Amino acid sequence: MNTVAVGTLLGRRLDRLRSSGASPAASPPVGRDDHAAPLALAIGGRVVRHELGSVVVREEVMELPIEVDRLASLPYPIDPAAPLVCIDLETTGLATAAGTLPFLVGVGVWQHDRLRLDQLLLPDHSDERALLEILRTLLPADGWLVTYNGKCFDWPLLTARYRLHRRDPPVHAGHLDLLPVARQLWKHRLGGARLAIVEQAICGVERTDDLPGHLIPERYFGYLRSRRAGMLAPVVEHNRQDIVSLARLLAVLAEQVAPPHSWAAAHPGDLFGLARGYARRRRPAEALAVIEAALAADAWSRGLEGGAGLHRELSAERARLLGRLGRRSEAFTAWLDIAARGGPGAGIAWLHVARYREHVERDIGGALTACQQALTVADRARAWGEPLYAVESDLQRRLPRLRRRAFRRRPLNPGVRRAA
Amino acid sequence: MRLYQPAETIETLERFLAQPEVREAIVEHRVLPERPAQTAPCPAWLDKRLVRALHSRGIEKLYTHQAEALEALRAGNDIVVVTPTASGKSLCYDLPVLQAVAEDPAARALYLFPTKALSQDQLASFRELAAAAEMDVTAGVYDGDTPGAIRTNIRSAGQVVVTNPDMLHSAILPHHTKWFQLFEQLRYIVVDEAHTYRGIFGSHVANVLRRLLRLCEHYGSKPQIVCCSATIGNPQALAETLIGRPVRVIDRNGAPAGEKHIVVLNPPPIDLRLGIRPGPLGLAHRAAMSFLRAGRQTIVFGKSRVGVELLLTGLREALREGFGPKNRVRGYRGGYLPTERRAIEAGLRSGDVLGVVSTNALELGIDIGRLDAAILAGYPGTIAATWQQMGRSGRRREASVAILVAGAGAVDQFVATHPEYLFDSSPEEARLDPTNLHVLLAHVRAAAFELPFESGDSLSGVPTDDLLHFLAEEGHVRLADDGRWYWASENFPASEVSLRVGAPENVVIIDTTGAPRPRVIGEVDIFAAPTLVYENAIYLHESRQYHVDRLDWGERKAYVTPVDVDYYTQALLAVTLKPLETFAAAPAAAGERAHGEVMVSSIATIYKKLRLETHENLGWGKIHLPELELHTTAYWVGLGAEFDSWRRDELDVALSGAGRALQTVASVLLMSDPHDLGMVAQVRSPHAEKPVVYLYDSVPGGVGLAARLFERHAELVAGALGLVEACRCEEGCPACVGPRLEAGGLGKRHARRLLTLLAGGAGKSDLAQVA
Repeated sequence: MNTVAVGTLLGRRLDRLRSSGASPAASPPVGRDDHAAPLALAIGGRVVRHELGSVVVREEVMELPIEVDRLASLPYPIDPAAPLVCIDLETTGLATAAGTLPFLVGVGVWQHDRLRLDQLLLPDHSDERALLEILRTLLPADGWLVTYNGKCFDWPLLTARYRLHRRDPPVHAGHLDLLPVARQLWKHRLGGARLAIVEQAICGVERTDDLPGHLIPERYFGYLRSRRAGMLAPVVEHNRQDIVSLARLLAVLAEQVAPPHSWAAAHPGDLFGLARGYARRRRPAEALAVIEAALAADAWSRGLEGGAGLHRELSAERARLLGRLGRRSEAFTAWLDIAARGGPGAGIAWLHVARYREHVERDIGGALTACQQALTVADRARAWGEPLYAVESDLQRRLPRLRRRAFRRRPLNPGVRRAA
Repeated sequence: MRLYQPAETIETLERFLAQPEVREAIVEHRVLPERPAQTAPCPAWLDKRLVRALHSRGIEKLYTHQAEALEALRAGNDIVVVTPTASGKSLCYDLPVLQAVAEDPAARALYLFPTKALSQDQLASFRELAAAAEMDVTAGVYDGDTPGAIRTNIRSAGQVVVTNPDMLHSAILPHHTKWFQLFEQLRYIVVDEAHTYRGIFGSHVANVLRRLLRLCEHYGSKPQIVCCSATIGNPQALAETLIGRPVRVIDRNGAPAGEKHIVVLNPPPIDLRLGIRPGPLGLAHRAAMSFLRAGRQTIVFGKSRVGVELLLTGLREALREGFGPKNRVRGYRGGYLPTERRAIEAGLRSGDVLGVVSTNALELGIDIGRLDAAILAGYPGTIAATWQQMGRSGRRREASVAILVAGAGAVDQFVATHPEYLFDSSPEEARLDPTNLHVLLAHVRAAAFELPFESGDSLSGVPTDDLLHFLAEEGHVRLADDGRWYWASENFPASEVSLRVGAPENVVIIDTTGAPRPRVIGEVDIFAAPTLVYENAIYLHESRQYHVDRLDWGERKAYVTPVDVDYYTQALLAVTLKPLETFAAAPAAAGERAHGEVMVSSIATIYKKLRLETHENLGWGKIHLPELELHTTAYWVGLGAEFDSWRRDELDVALSGAGRALQTVASVLLMSDPHDLGMVAQVRSPHAEKPVVYLYDSVPGGVGLAARLFERHAELVAGALGLVEACRCEEGCPACVGPRLEAGGLGKRHARRLLTLLAGGAGKSDLAQVA
């Protein structure tokens, strides 16, 4: 039978490839140094040769004073005595999987008031092992890494590269990732915590002609295809700027966030974030101090956008912290104060009041009154179409129990009901 | 006679078969004799703790196949173990793995199961054995359900990692650097249920295994592979294709089995002239009731979700009327939530659950213990699946029963009239093709992402340089200065390829009665959703009826409320087909045969409301859902000039009738499930401008059925003609060309004439006769 084979599109293309005789043997490997030298020229670096390959290194030292000791009081994991090492990678993708290549590693090490910046640029896939070995020499074993999203991305990716080449990754003493810190402190008013947003709003950095991060992978592939070294200069500058911003951000933390005397001038929302940091690290006394500073901040006198809600949350957090510190009567007063002010926060506040009256003051009637207040608030909220589920479900158990207790107690000792 | 009286299995069977309506339906009753255990002593080298653990479970000696497996692995072989369900297969790999860990605590093993449910099951049994041996072995399941905190621990410390091929493909291999401890120390790879790795899925899995072995080589480990398979025609070829290495077959089952009765029932026709036969549900229901009343643990296999639910409802109803144990009968199918399934499995093992009605979801080796009776409501589509389902019944010492009730469909009728087909022909061969160009290319990409390729490397035995060159043209990889091919793209290739051709997305079914906390009661896959959970559909779950109030297609959510109505709903699908590319075409008698790529668009148009018992039509409604597109492969027959003289209405009935017959014979020829092939008949194809019958692969991408049909065109046409000629009906019936059509009942004659012409016979005289 006469079969007419047509074949798939893919099959046809492969056939064409095979018949054209194109095979890898036809394109012999190029000498390694051919690429490194022009690259070094284009970015103002030098070629570092290693038995495993060649890497282009660009060095720079800049004045950047920082009072590192102040960082110690912050609720973030950092040891100011350790050498601080800022790291930022430029990569060929966003996954920390095996196919993502970090082709540019920026390392900024603080030496007193100076930041020494080394940028390691990869001329070819085949030079990666050399880059990793040179990088190892730049990372002190007692160093403390400072990164932006480095806990989730940069460091796991570097670790993966060492593992891929069956080497142990370099050791370090600790790691401070500034992304969660920035999120906690500033996201509430910046809308996000990308480095580009934060460096501009917090450090006042203005980048000109910056290469957007999402274009960087394609830029490197473009370089590999065309070998036009100049293409990578903007990437190197982008990376340099990232490291500098990282360093500046650390300086801001030391100078504007850590010292208590700076709190009066700070945004109360930023301070709320700082307080949460302390609270999470189980340092409630310091958290309370920050909250109280936030409630007394200068900003309130100037009027604050969305201030009412923030004030309410700060007040509630203050009451909660007082409770955590065992200052129960102060906490009770604080809750009562919030409850008396009404509004959506009053529901929870009344519940706290009820709890205190029931368990501390042994005032069942008073607790019942507070619960009924909470119920009124919850009903109103439901009528508004924004039910307070937590309050409602708490009341479902608390109210009947209090009613039972009130009913039981009354005939037994009617005279001493309110005596706590 | 008392309705609910405990009775022995065989006694119950005999009573059931003695009923007059049942007796006339018996077409086969075979008794497989009792088989004693064949045992061998535990190897002397086996760690004493393991020997003690076996003793504590009452195992003094191993079955011969277990001992053979242990020795073969000890000798350094890769093996494939082929024994039926519940023959102690897991010991064939659990023991060697524990032995390896006993000899070297750093040793690690990777277990692969096709489904998450099996993973959990096997992990539990592995842990029991390890605990009995008082060995402290870290074992964990790593799949989509594993919480993040546990993941890190499994990666770094899991001595036995249990996962599935999909997870291996998309989460473990691309992130191999996080798994370096596993890859450096990997001693055993266990590939259980290997027979499920066939078709496109199997071709993918074979390549995933090649990628796994490639990484092991990089990290310096040389794992041995243990495959386990249900009984199929070609276990050795399957395993060797799957792993790309020679294997030793271990198929002499040493496990004992009690006597087993196998009965094939064919419900007698209601109307011979029209060829109307009852479905299999009635007799299956009757059989199930007999065993349930006698207190025998019974499993009933239905072929579809709806079938399962109808059977379940019927059984519970009947049990309720007789105040029987209705709550001890449960349903089991894909849409049930994992926790619900686990509870049912445990209930079956403990005996709390007396009966279960299941789809083939229970076909795989999920441990439900051994039951007394297995009832198959309809032929499962393949011999292998039939034996697997029948294997669900079978006790070590007592007798057991398996009953196949044939349905009205053509394939079922073929089996019912040729029962020797079941017993005498070898089970289907599982086929896969790791070198399928599309599949291979996807994995070359994924492998390049994981590790660079050296020049001259190969994957699945195919040299990769050409493929890499092709990928380089597309900008996915590049040839670096050191002569290696490196991944050079931002993409994550593993996430672009799904191993299972089925859609990964599901529609979640939510019961809104309990607002504000609605409850998820189940899920259906996206291709099934338009015919199951359209708005106003009655969706059955655990034999409860739910009304679909709203279907949020974008969010993949169906909101339902429980109702109690006396009807069910059935959706109608409108299917259109468009050929995209012809792979091959050749002239054939009275036309042309071809195969190629097609786009099948289906849209649910209307639904009918049908009364539960009588199936009478109570009304209909419209379904407003987007069209679903299926990109697949098809085989087709275009009719030649011989048919120009035919009237359009004649062609219409002839084409659809012949199409039905071709579809039936195709699924028997290819030994595939009848649902694997869809059929579209076009009286005047807009593309070919002539009458065409298409048979398409109903899974996205196709599993290669079309090409095989193309090769076997002559056999196919002859078979279809034979089927129509041999059918005893007069004017067409569901078993041949489909039920009698409106147009004067000449459908069968026209279809026969058409097939005669296609078979190269003299259609002329026949034409004259009809005209």
